Amino acid sequence: MQAQARKVSLSSGELTYFIAGEGRPIVYLHPAGGVRWTRVLEGLSKSFALHVPVVPGFDGTSAHGAVKSMQGLAKLLGEFIDKVIGGPSDLMGCSFGGCVALWLAAERPDRVDHLVLECPAVFRPKGARPADAGTLHKLLFLHPEKLPAESKPVEQELANRRMLPHYRAPDDTDAELLGKIASIDKLTLILHGTADRMIPKESVQLLKSRMPRSYLMYVWDAAHAIEVDQPERMLSLVESFLQRSEGFMVNWGTLAVNPG
Amino acid sequence: MPYTHLELESHDWPFPNRYFDPAKASALYRTYVDSMIHAESCGFDWVGCNEHHFSPYGMMANCNLIGGALAYPTKRVKIAMIGNLVPLNNPIRIAEEYAMLDCMSGGRLVAGLMRGIPHEYLAYNIPPGESWERQREAVQLILKAWTEPEPFGWEGKHFQYRQVSIWPKPMQKPHPPLVISASNADSAKFAAEMRATMGMVLLADLPSGKECIRIYKEAAKASGWEPTAENVLVGMHTCIAETDEEARRHLAHGLKYFDEVLMGGLQASQRIVLQKTRYFENEESRDRWKSRLDKRRTLTLDEAIERGTVLCGSPETVVKQIKRIHSELGHGIFNFTVKVGTLPDEVIRRGMELFRDRVHPHVRDL
Repeated sequence: MQAQARKVSLSSGELTYFIAGEGRPIVYLHPAGGVRWTRVLEGLSKSFALHVPVVPGFDGTSAHGAVKSMQGLAKLLGEFIDKVIGGPSDLMGCSFGGCVALWLAAERPDRVDHLVLECPAVFRPKGARPADAGTLHKLLFLHPEKLPAESKPVEQELANRRMLPHYRAPDDTDAELLGKIASIDKLTLILHGTADRMIPKESVQLLKSRMPRSYLMYVWDAAHAIEVDQPERMLSLVESFLQRSEGFMVNWGTLAVNPG
Repeated sequence: MPYTHLELESHDWPFPNRYFDPAKASALYRTYVDSMIHAESCGFDWVGCNEHHFSPYGMMANCNLIGGALAYPTKRVKIAMIGNLVPLNNPIRIAEEYAMLDCMSGGRLVAGLMRGIPHEYLAYNIPPGESWERQREAVQLILKAWTEPEPFGWEGKHFQYRQVSIWPKPMQKPHPPLVISASNADSAKFAAEMRATMGMVLLADLPSGKECIRIYKEAAKASGWEPTAENVLVGMHTCIAETDEEARRHLAHGLKYFDEVLMGGLQASQRIVLQKTRYFENEESRDRWKSRLDKRRTLTLDEAIERGTVLCGSPETVVKQIKRIHSELGHGIFNFTVKVGTLPDEVIRRGMELFRDRVHPHVRDL
């Protein structure tokens, strides 16, 4: 996958981002471990102009002194879309990125088209966030053998996770965000791995019940990092959703041996 | 629910249906359903039936239809579907039909989620090598369909649905009790992981049954729960009559038809599936299955009784047999397969009454 690293100057500082592919824009918001180049991102870059901003302070970038909350981060990313894309974009967020995506959809609905939330880390029991790398690894992956070969060192992932308090990312339920999600009217796809032990199913059920135009899909045989555990199925789902909108509900395939 | 009007000869599977007489089948269905309704008045806790395809071995392509026929004439007895062959069917349809039965019966459904014996995969053109994957995925999907509070979709390897929200949902919460077959180590572990009652039928001998129960209990502990005796079901061919001699005569006659006609043609197709496919994930499980069938086939009735794999005799004899088997296996549910081949239906009904009057009082507190 050929992603180009770029920088853009925003009101609170410089933001690093990657861009790959051409076509309709999609913004991907990375999880708390930082940017992970998965086969899902690679696949999306073949049909979309994939934009992957690096949250300030993650993956060796500098934090912005003036951006210290999830809401502030959402506004910054809204500004990123204004400046780099110039109009509404499909938005996909993974885990922590899913939480940011919800904030962005709530704060800047004019900049969001379809919304994809991959196991969004919005509501979970207190203390569910794992303390050590070994536990974290077990919770993230059901099939760690599928991890991309060029994955970043565990130390970098842990350093990224230490940025969460900077944005006051809640350890449990983001009550403020919970109060806003009913107002998000974007067509939304919520994905949850059937073996996800990081974010309980009750969390995505709650989102589904509050978001009027949402679909909840369980991905079988996947833990928290669905992109790693089941990349083909996830890519197929996301592409179908983005391309067909409500028509995503319809089975467009055929099992006929000789469909002609 | 066998078809019992055939000559004593076997045919390859699938059994040609030119031998099938719908008028005779109509009478058989009526008789079987009446016997099951009668079971309630004989003190049985469950009446059960299962699913088979393309042979006189069982005329129940969909046992849920029989379950529906039992829901209203019965009031107390649990309706055990043991059960739908999960990998062969649409899991959402199973979830829906079971939920219907649970509501119709006022919460009396026992939901069997079976993998199916090898040749059934030929009937529905499902790859036998996918049987375990399909079973594991479909059972999880069925549980989701019963318990999810919001519409949901499922993106699996074998099953995909964009929007699921079944009407009705089951009456029993969080869902009806499950029974999953557990006649080998793999299935015993799976039953335990799903917190299901384990089911074993057609045992080759008691030690092999005991071993499956041990594996099941160990796996349950690893999954964070402790099964009780009520989570272990053992099923056996059963014939109770006034005397030992009479019971043996009737069962021997029924077993002859069972072995030669009903099971006879199945063996070739079973062998093809077992030898040519990955129906079993490892050779050990495959060999155990074959050995179990071979052992059963070569046993005489006397030997089977001696081994404790068949219940047969006068009420007093059957009490002793039940106590002996229970002392070995410690199970809480005994499934009596009373329609064995051509065993006469009047003998079966009388046997159920003998159970009520002269067996049950002596074994109910085991």
